Amino acid sequence: MNRPGTPASGAQLAVERYLAEVTARLPGSPRSHRDIVAELRSGILDATDAHCSAGLPPAEAVQAAIDEFGDPIKVADGFTAEIAAGLARRAAVVVLVTGPLVGVLWIVTAVASHIAPHFQWSDLSPGLQVGVPLVAVAAGVTACGALFGIAATGRLTRWLPAMPRRAPAAAAVAGFGAVGADALGLALLGVQLATAAGTLSPWPAAAAAAASVARLMFARRAALRCLAIRTGLT
Amino acid sequence: MRAETLKGHLNGILLAVLEPEPRHGYAIMEALRDRSAGQVDLPTGTIYPAMHRLERTGLVRASWSTVGGRRRRVYDLTAAGRRALDTERSTWRDFSATVTALLQPVPLAISPQ
Repeated sequence: MNRPGTPASGAQLAVERYLAEVTARLPGSPRSHRDIVAELRSGILDATDAHCSAGLPPAEAVQAAIDEFGDPIKVADGFTAEIAAGLARRAAVVVLVTGPLVGVLWIVTAVASHIAPHFQWSDLSPGLQVGVPLVAVAAGVTACGALFGIAATGRLTRWLPAMPRRAPAAAAVAGFGAVGADALGLALLGVQLATAAGTLSPWPAAAAAAASVARLMFARRAALRCLAIRTGLT
Repeated sequence: MRAETLKGHLNGILLAVLEPEPRHGYAIMEALRDRSAGQVDLPTGTIYPAMHRLERTGLVRASWSTVGGRRRRVYDLTAAGRRALDTERSTWRDFSATVTALLQPVPLAISPQ
């Protein structure tokens, strides 16, 4: 016998069908929806209890609880906005925090390799004189996008109008900015290897290149996910 | 009362419901119905994303607890949430007083013939 509030199998199927309709529209893996599903399921069971206490037979109580929860599309849309905000915020924070770390590795490489022994711009090769400002521009775009993405998803949103589509867009800009900065860094390393490989200090260069490749891959994936989730927002 | 009517005030209403004690999602909905004498009757499923938004913005904190064998996510006001509720109340009082004054019927002036 079912304990009070635990729906019979047919009714249980109806609950699971409702939850599946919600999660089918949510971005991300089923694993990432576990807490949402658990919370909604316990809420529907609480609602079922309330309808049973009001005198409805169990099967009707379950249906009444499901009806009370409303259109699964609207519920999913509400959660999608939250998932998008969380994704955008995480991407923006990671890109913003890793930028200076990767930058320091490239600076260590440059110093260790004596690329600019007297810290003078004219010491740099023509390729670096063009490439370094481009890296700086890409880093600036990344920082601006990331800061906006963080502002649009955190505590500042208490005072700002709701911007569900802007936060993932800003995080995507930050992500693509990071892709650009890291790709330029790696391209400059390639140029240096081709023209003056002997001057490069191998270990710092390898560490900087590995860090840039890892960041580039993360930033590209995060930016594409932010753009994809943005299309589902209203 | 429909969700569109409450737009702009839902955050304050949800914070007010949590002021006396922490509650889980369905208890929040029941409190909304009780305190509004049934006037507020939103689709219950839409309360949950709204609570997640309040949690993200630091106005409530959530924790899982098991009661009667059922796992529930329980929401509680943070200090920032209490301050935000005070602000919502004072903004609403000013807004309500202004609109009430504006909606008062004004006696028609009788123009001299």
